Amino acid sequence: MSGSTIRVIIGPQHPALKEPERFILETEGEYVVDVKVRIGYIHRGIEKAMENRTYLQGLYLSERVCGICSDAHTTCYVQGVEELLGVEPPPRSRFIRVVVAELERIHSHLLWLGVAAHEIGFDTLFMYVWRDREVVMDLLELVSGNRVNYATNTIGGVRRDLNDERIQKIVKGLKILEERTKEYLKMIEKEQTVLKRTTNVGILSKSDAIKYGAVGPTTRASGVKRDVRADDPYAAYDEIPFNVIVEDGCDCLARIMVRGKEVLESINIIREALKRMPSGEIRVRVKPRIPPAEALSRVEAPRGELLYYIRSNGTDKPERCKIRTPTLANIPALCKMLVGGYIADVPIVLAGIDPCFACMDRVLIVDREKKRADVWTLDMLRRYGREWYQRH
Amino acid sequence: MVSETLNLILQLLIYPGFLFIFCLAFFSEWIMRKFVARIQSRMGPTYTGYGGVLQPIADFIKLLGKEDIIPALADRPFFTFTPLLYLALPLTAIFILPMASQSALISFEGDLIFLEFIFTMLTMMVFLGGFLSGSIFSMVGGVRAAIQLLGYEIPFLIALFSPSIPASSLSISKISAWQAQNNAWGLWTQPIGFSVLVICLLAELELLPFDIPEAETEIVAGWNVEFTGRRLALIRLGKDVEVVLASAILADLYLGGPQQVWIIPPIIIFLAKMFACLLLLGYLKTLFARFRIDQVLSGMWKYVVPAAMIQLIILKLIW
Repeated sequence: MSGSTIRVIIGPQHPALKEPERFILETEGEYVVDVKVRIGYIHRGIEKAMENRTYLQGLYLSERVCGICSDAHTTCYVQGVEELLGVEPPPRSRFIRVVVAELERIHSHLLWLGVAAHEIGFDTLFMYVWRDREVVMDLLELVSGNRVNYATNTIGGVRRDLNDERIQKIVKGLKILEERTKEYLKMIEKEQTVLKRTTNVGILSKSDAIKYGAVGPTTRASGVKRDVRADDPYAAYDEIPFNVIVEDGCDCLARIMVRGKEVLESINIIREALKRMPSGEIRVRVKPRIPPAEALSRVEAPRGELLYYIRSNGTDKPERCKIRTPTLANIPALCKMLVGGYIADVPIVLAGIDPCFACMDRVLIVDREKKRADVWTLDMLRRYGREWYQRH
Repeated sequence: MVSETLNLILQLLIYPGFLFIFCLAFFSEWIMRKFVARIQSRMGPTYTGYGGVLQPIADFIKLLGKEDIIPALADRPFFTFTPLLYLALPLTAIFILPMASQSALISFEGDLIFLEFIFTMLTMMVFLGGFLSGSIFSMVGGVRAAIQLLGYEIPFLIALFSPSIPASSLSISKISAWQAQNNAWGLWTQPIGFSVLVICLLAELELLPFDIPEAETEIVAGWNVEFTGRRLALIRLGKDVEVVLASAILADLYLGGPQQVWIIPPIIIFLAKMFACLLLLGYLKTLFARFRIDQVLSGMWKYVVPAAMIQLIILKLIW
């Protein structure tokens, strides 16, 4: 490290981060010249725990990987398990999955919009957006019985049906949300202080977005048309027409606009899904034991592409379950965005990828000399820790 | 003689002296918090006292009782003196502003210059306090405060002194008395100057969109990140007094200050004007996102400084 730079350490505890993660910024004056990321503060061992539980128990565990995109996690998980079983969920359940997934996307994007406003110091917008987010939270509670961790999905279908009364309430709530979101988007497009803080901030060019493998709204804000819902349709997305929102701004403003417009698009998707929803069963019964097979399941979570890999071995427990969350995929792109910006822009750029660190922390030991990567168990970590302290 | 001295002591200590100003400071903090909260569709303080009116005092007492830590890397004398001066400076300045009557407690020709000196000293306290408390965050905050000063200092000076041209006096009491007698409020005769002063006061008070030295999401609490307990309590109180001072300056220099209307005593009129200015500052605070430090500097020099100068030229042409 040269003498002229100052290290500003953001995290593990920092007001701009809602979860512990560490970013070491090398700064020259107000400029950021280099970023180092240290991840892994909230490793919870969920993948290991899944191996010790049955498939049905694993469902509830996968829901708790992330509090905000819990439905995306269970959808991804049950899709994987259904693929292992060779079971097709009934059509009505697939539409209900779409409705809940899109309600969740609205809730997640509005939450993010509030956080982004807070990061640039616009607390009034933050309060307003979060007030209106309550509408969608209430709808989710109406549909599933819970404000978070909806537990809508189950292996082979969904748990709760939608009746006419609930559908009416959803339609009513969507109208409020549509009006408010349009108003906020109009306001953000005009408000000078917001524009000043977000245009040309945290630039991620189209080629970089592809090169660093960014996912979700982050990559769509860089002009890359990439959305699992359209590219590899799951649930009922192949039966519902919708647009993939793409912005060419490559900056934080584009990320705000992408998410805002996605909220409006989600509202259209839900309306369409409610209109086209077939009647019939909502779940099929499945056997607890699953023959040996492998499955890879992809879902477009609010933050981007979520990926589950599940391997079964003939028992009622999975042999391996690997989760790749969108935040992890966006971290390399994030480092690219931060370098060359101002310290003042770090929070909004960080927030720009909608990070969810608790979801992404896994213990992955990469040994550069031996060129291999291992996933460590808790015992191995303990042993390593003891040996390390004896040596040092 | 004895009664006069006693009177002066009472005036200094109780009304319109220390006690009155402290109560006013706490009350204005409550007004500001409640007002901003209602605009943002929140509740604001509700728990302590009627409508949470005692909440600022409760916060102050709570902070007084908390542990007082001096960081090992901090510069001890400065770390001790900064909070004291941060409270003492605006408190001193309030005595030269007319509040209860047309003449201030302490009034002399040229006290406007003294006021300006106090404002610059306050920013210097922020800079030194931040720079010498030995944390990166506070250092960045302190430096940001000093850089921001380069932006708003010149227009602030111009907007502060332009009311003295029509009144042809450098004493705040005389300026406000002149405005009240001639019914020529600065707000009507020099509106550009008023808006320039409001913008610069927002920057001086570190309110949005200029709360860059203590931008929470960027540098935690900025320059006061290391201050705890008693010191933080003093800084918080100092900030409240500063807000009162800023709205009082607006009321005195641009709104005619305390004046007798019919049978309403001047202090009531003055307080009404002062709280109107306070609410204006609070309202502006909720409207914007935070600027970046370079945007503040370029914006100030591109727009606010020319605006202040144009106002000065117009004034010289008229008077």
